[in-house]
Amino acid sequence: MNCEGPDCEDALKRLYLFLDHEIATGDCDQIQAHLDGCPDCMDEYSAEVLVKSLIVRSCAETAPEVLRERVLFAIRKITIETDISEA
Amino acid sequence: MLDCPVRPTEVVLSPMDDNTGIDWSAETPEERHLRFERDALPFLDQLYSAALRMTRNPQDAEDLVQDTFAKAFSAFHQFKPGTNLKAWLYRILTNTYINSYRKAQRQPKQVSEEVEDWQIAAAEAHTSSGMKSAEMEALERLPDSDVKEALQELSDDFRFTVYLADVEGFPYREIAEIMDVPVGTVMSRLHRGRRQLRDLLADYARDRGVKVPDGGETA
Repeated sequence: MNCEGPDCEDALKRLYLFLDHEIATGDCDQIQAHLDGCPDCMDEYSAEVLVKSLIVRSCAETAPEVLRERVLFAIRKITIETDISEA
Repeated sequence: MLDCPVRPTEVVLSPMDDNTGIDWSAETPEERHLRFERDALPFLDQLYSAALRMTRNPQDAEDLVQDTFAKAFSAFHQFKPGTNLKAWLYRILTNTYINSYRKAQRQPKQVSEEVEDWQIAAAEAHTSSGMKSAEMEALERLPDSDVKEALQELSDDFRFTVYLADVEGFPYREIAEIMDVPVGTVMSRLHRGRRQLRDLLADYARDRGVKVPDGGETA
């Protein structure tokens, strides 16, 4: 299951660019075609997609309501202070 | 009280680029205040989540987010309507963290990896060790707490670069602006950060009794 040909090397080297939508369409098609035909590289790609999805899933906290109030209070305070200093 | 957290060259107003068709100079402070609450406040949850990744504890994260919004509000007249508000807020968040919190936490300055060629990192990042479906399922079953813990084990720079790319989906160019580093550094950090994260996650899965082959070795 070695995956060492030049096509694999090229695809793996640009895997993150592909994953992150950072490459031009033509190159994208090229890598896509390689992945479709190479199960090992596809596994590697799938693993990266999975890790990315784990991070997204795990990092979706909601700010506590009290923080929203603190922020609103802080910016209103700045407005009032600005009004006073300009008066 | 304010040191402007944004590099002036990048927020200079260029009326030519503002295609909103609105004369912002006529905006009253009250209108600007309302516009800030309407446009910036919706990013509260996202910035809080990002702040948690930076500070590693909820109390500091709340303080950091409050400071970030206060600074953003005070500098809001410099923000060019029609440009990327989220990226602008993230830049203020990052600068506020670096200037205040990281110093306060007295973390040793992380060893710089800036000179690394991202292509070297790219070549090292991937092997076709073939993570098979059983191992993939094991990773997928890891609880969020494990993933967050693994993220916290990365260095600040790696963790936050990965966060900006994966959670926020910022393009490399914008991550480079937010973190004030070259794009090559962003790519290098992404490669190393993700590689380390994958190894850590595999370790966690192994600790939970799942058989996962060592990463980095060609099977």
